[in-house]
Formats: sequence, C-alpha cells, structure tokens
Amino acid sequence: MILALETSCDDTCAAVVTDGGVIRSNVISSQGIHDRFGGVVPEIASRHHLELVNAVVDEALHKAEVTLDDVTLVAATQGPGLIGALLVGLVTAKSIASSRELPLAAVDHLHGHIAAVFLEPQPFEPPFVALIVSGGHTLLVDVTGPREFALLGQTLDDAGGEAFDKGARMLGLGYPGGAALERLAQDGDPNAFSFPTAKGVKGCDFSFAGVKTALLYAIRDLGEKEADRRRADLAASYQSAIVEALVQRAQRALDKTGRARLALGGGVAANGALRGRLEALAVDLGIPPRELCTDNAAMIASAARSVEPLAFPMYLDLDVYPTGAKGL
Amino acid sequence: MPALTVLGFDTATAATVAGLTFNGQSFERRDDPAVGARPGHATRLLSLIEDLFKDGGVGWKDIDRVAIGVGPGSFTGLRIGVATARALAQARGLPIAPVSTLRALAAGALEGISPIEGISLRPVAAIIDARRGEIFAGVWEGEATLLAPQAVAPDDFCQTLRQLGCEPTAVGDGAVRYRSMLEAAGALIAADEASEHRVSGPAICELGARGDLVSLDKVIPNYLRQPDAEISLKS
Ligand SMILES: [Zn+2]
Repeated sequence: MILALETSCDDTCAAVVTDGGVIRSNVISSQGIHDRFGGVVPEIASRHHLELVNAVVDEALHKAEVTLDDVTLVAATQGPGLIGALLVGLVTAKSIASSRELPLAAVDHLHGHIAAVFLEPQPFEPPFVALIVSGGHTLLVDVTGPREFALLGQTLDDAGGEAFDKGARMLGLGYPGGAALERLAQDGDPNAFSFPTAKGVKGCDFSFAGVKTALLYAIRDLGEKEADRRRADLAASYQSAIVEALVQRAQRALDKTGRARLALGGGVAANGALRGRLEALAVDLGIPPRELCTDNAAMIASAARSVEPLAFPMYLDLDVYPTGAKGL
Repeated sequence: MPALTVLGFDTATAATVAGLTFNGQSFERRDDPAVGARPGHATRLLSLIEDLFKDGGVGWKDIDRVAIGVGPGSFTGLRIGVATARALAQARGLPIAPVSTLRALAAGALEGISPIEGISLRPVAAIIDARRGEIFAGVWEGEATLLAPQAVAPDDFCQTLRQLGCEPTAVGDGAVRYRSMLEAAGALIAADEASEHRVSGPAICELGARGDLVSLDKVIPNYLRQPDAEISLKS
C-alpha cells in the first residue's frame, strides 16, 4: 500500500493507492485563499500546507480504511514547484517513513501528471503522446513506458492555464478565472476576433505571450463600454486561440512520433472546448477524471510505482528542487 | 516518577540542532553552517536524530515526547522543524511539547553562566536576527518573562531596555549583529563565537520536558510576522 503526498503548489494532497494502481483514497484540500492576491503566494501556501498536511494524511488513511501499519511505501513530490510548499510535503513524508523505517519514493511532479493515466480502473497503456496543461506547466511528452519519456515541446513563456487566468483577469473575471472564462465563452462567438496562435513558434513548443497581448489591445481598442458589451465574444475568441494552439502542437507531436494515442492531463484538461477539439482528432484519447487531472497525490503514488524506492535511511538527506531545476 | 526521555530539535536559526535527554544524561547533535552558507534544516535534521539515537542507545519506542522549537526565526526553517515534529508525532503516536526558541536560547545562556542558588543574575535577552532591520527578542529573569517575544527594530528594543532599567546579558545571533547598540544600552554580550549565542538541543529538551503538551494540529510556528503579501495588501 502506497501513501503519497503532494504539496508542490497550493493544494494539500494525500492519497492511498495499492501497488496495483487501485485508488483507495485521494484527498485534496484546496486552500482557496489566494484569490484576493491574484495569484498563489508561496509563503501563505506554505503556511497552510503545514497546518493541513497531517489532517489530510489522516483523512487519506481513514478513507482508505487502512493504518500506517498497512503502508509499505511512502511517496512525495520532490519537485518542481514552490520550494517552501514542496518542503512541507517532502519533510513530512521523510519523517513518517524514517520513523517507521519504510522506503521512500521521491517523485517528479510532471511524471505524476503523466502517471495519472496509469491508474485503475481504466489504465491507458504506453506508448502515447501526453499533453499536460495546467496553471504551472504546458508540455508535450512522448511516453513509451511507465518511466520512459522524451520531451517533445514545452511553453516558452506562460503556461496554458496561466494564459486562461490572465485573460480572465483582463475580462474582469477575478482569479483564478479559467473556469469563469470558459462559462462566459459559451455565450460568445469564437470567430468574432482573430487572436494569434503563435504561428512563429515552430515544432511542438508553445507561446501564449502573443495571444495575451492581443486580448489586451483588443480590449483597449474597443474602449471600456464596447469591450464590456462584447465580453463573451472576446472570451470565446481568446479561448479558441489557446485551444487551437494546444491542438495544433498536439497534432504535430502525433505526426512527429507516429502515435495514434493521446493522453491529456493538468487542470486545463477540464476545459470543454479543448476536450471537444481533441475528440475531433482521429486518435485514441486517454483523459482521466477531473480530480486526477488537477494536482493530486494519487498520481504521485501512481508514478511512485515505477520509481526506484530509496531504502531507509538512504533518503534522510533528500532535498526538494524548484521549478526549472530538473524534471522531465 | 522516572525522568522523561525527550527528543528535541530546533531549526529556527541557521543551525540545525537536535538533543536527547534521559536519566539525567543529555546528548546533542548539531549542524552549524558557515556564515552565509545555506542552512541544512531539510537535509540534516533526520540524520542528526538518527545519530542521537545511536549516541544514546535508544530507539523510537523509548521516546516519551518530542520537544520542538517553534521560533520565532526563519519561516522556512521553522516549517521544516515543525513539519518534522508533527509527522514524527503522527507516525509514532507521540505527544509534542512546543518550546519558544528564544526561551531556549535564554535558558542555554543561564546554564552557560552556571547560576548559583540565591544569587540574582542579570536578566537574559535572547535575540535572533530577523533581517530587514529587525530582531526577534524576548527578555527573561529566571522563570519570569520581562518582555515577551516580539519582532522589533533594534534601536526600539534598546529604548525599551533603558525604560525598564534593564541591563541584561544578551545572547543570540541578533546580539552579535547589533552588539555595539546593545552594549551602549548596558547589555553584556559574550564573544561572538561563544556557545551561548547558539540554540542548545538539551535546552529545548529540558523546557519541553516540563512544558505543556499540545495536540499536533495546534503545533504551529510562532512566525511573529505576517507574510509580505498580507502586509502589502493591507497598506
Ligand atoms: Zn501540476
């Protein structure tokens, strides 16, 4: 039985998963306290992780109807993410493991997002291309085994989810506004405005700086009153450009690798427009349920199944790594 | 009642300090990084605890309680120590006794001076450098708190000492950093490298042994300062 922790951003997560990939519990405590700051504040996120983490672990064990005596492997996200936030999870995992002389699996967060599709009851088997899009990451990966990846492309600036949130803020939808933007877009015309899809960026890389600037200029050029009247059209066109950019690169990745199977992960996987466009591609799609797409600990446990565990006491000096330091 | 076996540690300052006390014996393991070097809180603490267990010939089943320095001090450092204490307590079913890091610093200083029964000593000011022109400071006289832990500008703190007519022994990295200002206010400060300026593992254990037990969800760092984002949102 694997007990996993994930605290790389602002969700405090713990899960219990069997060695065979069956989820026994998957507890996510969303802090939801960063909205008034317009973004995740690392110090505040870290303080909340510390206050929540033990209760979240307790709840995960309780829901799984197991005790620590049943746990044979402890796993935690080692990076990338916010240092202070990661530390709370990794230190907690190391302390639980070492005081019970259990092995520890240190998991890369992005490996976790990919491994979400390996979980029961409908595991999606490699090889496939994985598109991971969230507020923190945007990447395309060729997945040939549980831990065999080749990075095909990534964002050169903002993450896809970040582009959604920033657009939402420009349209006065608050933070985080990705979901609100999608709702507003339902009443709008996606072809009303022609926003760029970063045509200049070749291959499988992404860039969302252009579309963001284009929205800003469109709002400015329309003037406050007209922009407000056409908010739905702006939202629909903006969303459409981001989705097109994502789908285009996914198609390129499929062409380049010759694969006919695509897995989707990350919080933006919940976006209906993106799902709709991907379903129109003639490929076998693997999209886990929403709670396994956003940050969670079950995906970390899933990845831990293919990570070489460190035996006690080999992991006592293990440290976290920040965004950009390592990873896939 | 037999003496308690206490595992204590503190990561509020640059040092990573762990102590073990039982049957009148005490052990300490510590990691004091060179000036300017990155603290080893996250990487060294659990190894130091394992080393202590070997030193004392004890195991988890022998530990009666965990004493943890809850600051004030470095935010990240505090969280590493408190997260470790909470997780160990959770995994081993142990009670936690939170200890003020400043109080432990003051207690360690009193020990260094080896008090003689009945002799009135100077009060002790424990001072941790809080960066950004502030210190975390508290003043004790024996068991009595003269000045509760606070984040304060060093010159305001000196002003308060003068108003109280208090000329304490001052210890801690903050006392070293603001030595001349504090000495001008009447404080007595040992040489920069003196051990009194460092948090002692056994002092954490001893305060924890007679301190109150707190349920692990209630054990949180005494930050004494709000996050920057919170401060700028208000202003
Ligand atoms: Zn993520």
